[in-house]
Amino acid sequence: MNKEHRTVLHLDLNAFFASVEQQANPELRDKAIAVVGGHGRTVITTSSYEARAKGVKTGMAKWEALRCCPELIIVVGDNRKYTYTSTQIMNMMSDYTPLVEVYSIDEAWLDLTHSLNLFGNAERIAYLLKARIFQSFGLKCSIGIAPNKLLAKLASDLKKPDGLTIIKPEDVSRVLERMPIQELCGVGKKMQRHLNMMSIYTCGELGRADEARLTRKFGILGKVYKAMGQGIDHSPVVQAEETDEVKSVGHSMTLRRDVSAREDILKYLLQLSEMVGRRARRYGVAGKTVHLYVRFADYFSSFGKQNTLSNYINQSDEIYKAVVNILDLADVSQPVRMLGVTLSNLQYHSLQMPLFEDERRKAKMVLAMDAVNNKHGEFAVTFGSLLKNEEKGSHVISPAWRPEGIRNIDVQ
Amino acid sequence: MSAQPVRIAVVYHPGKRPKPIWFELNNRQHHVKETTYFWRDKAGDKRLLHYAVTTGEALFELVFDPATESWTIESQQIDE
Repeated sequence: MNKEHRTVLHLDLNAFFASVEQQANPELRDKAIAVVGGHGRTVITTSSYEARAKGVKTGMAKWEALRCCPELIIVVGDNRKYTYTSTQIMNMMSDYTPLVEVYSIDEAWLDLTHSLNLFGNAERIAYLLKARIFQSFGLKCSIGIAPNKLLAKLASDLKKPDGLTIIKPEDVSRVLERMPIQELCGVGKKMQRHLNMMSIYTCGELGRADEARLTRKFGILGKVYKAMGQGIDHSPVVQAEETDEVKSVGHSMTLRRDVSAREDILKYLLQLSEMVGRRARRYGVAGKTVHLYVRFADYFSSFGKQNTLSNYINQSDEIYKAVVNILDLADVSQPVRMLGVTLSNLQYHSLQMPLFEDERRKAKMVLAMDAVNNKHGEFAVTFGSLLKNEEKGSHVISPAWRPEGIRNIDVQ
Repeated sequence: MSAQPVRIAVVYHPGKRPKPIWFELNNRQHHVKETTYFWRDKAGDKRLLHYAVTTGEALFELVFDPATESWTIESQQIDE
């Protein structure tokens, strides 16, 4: 494929969660609303454009957001609405090209290079997608069309909400000349500071910067940054099934309230181990490395440690034993706010019935529990000590969420 | 409000999803003015259809279980 003549579309659903809630409840339309998670102490997940205009930002604590915007309506999010809607919209995109790369729950790239003969031009596909999404869900989106992923994402960010921006190949240098570097996907605040210290403020300046100087500062990435400044990006649009193999399976949870008692911490660790084990077994992977992450109540201090075992595991009780061993090394001198368990160093693993009777019975029991949970839902049957846990399962859509495959986490 | 079974009138269109027309709650009939949002959900192998509906006075969430052909009300929000 000639990389110089690609046509890439980037679609971004505007204020996605908040817009879904405004559609579901007409009373919320045209009002300042913010979506929060289900717990008592979560932060603002997203907000409507009306709220953003008053200074409400993602990540703010609820009290902070209400101080900016006293009329703000706080809505507890319903993740299942969002995952369903996102999956339907991603499926719509597949009607125009098989090359759809889902970037997050509300963003995707489409490589339309080979679809233009069928549908006319990229602009027409953009309008068709916008019309279908609005017709089906009442949602607006911003679309960027450009010769590569970097520029398509930049284009879609230029006009929000409900924008359509096209960067033609012949316009790339003109558009980038005065574009602030922080507008480029991949240039975060830290990178912006480093580049600003080198007197580089615009993409034009980055594209003209001395490559040797950039390489001295950023290593091999210096060349990449210079290319970004010139609007060059050869990265392909990669379909979900072609993306890199999953390297880890993990779950974390911010606890409803800080916990100090060891038995309480252990209950949450067992629950997280079960969630990790269930997902690993469902997708036929097992891992050798178990990682435990603990964030303490002061928010700033944390503990993280991993342990590599001699064999591959994916049974929840084995994961649990491994994380408890790691916990025993931690200095848990203050209450715990958040816990995370991750299984990595994965390999695809087909279940083999163990040789010894005890092990065989345990494997059969795990299979039976999984079968019941597959039929009746997560935690329909679980460990007795988890029965009194207030909240079970995932309640947060992670950035790695995807409509299908091992990254498709069933959120509550 | 926990899910509770509901007496309901629904129109079944061939090839389309069922459309709730009215339902009874607390001995009162509520007419559905608009289905404002629809989504599907699953619990194990059970598939559920969720409808956010407004009666003009309040917003309700109706849930249809195709396996048992039963309807429940999951939540209710009275407009101020």
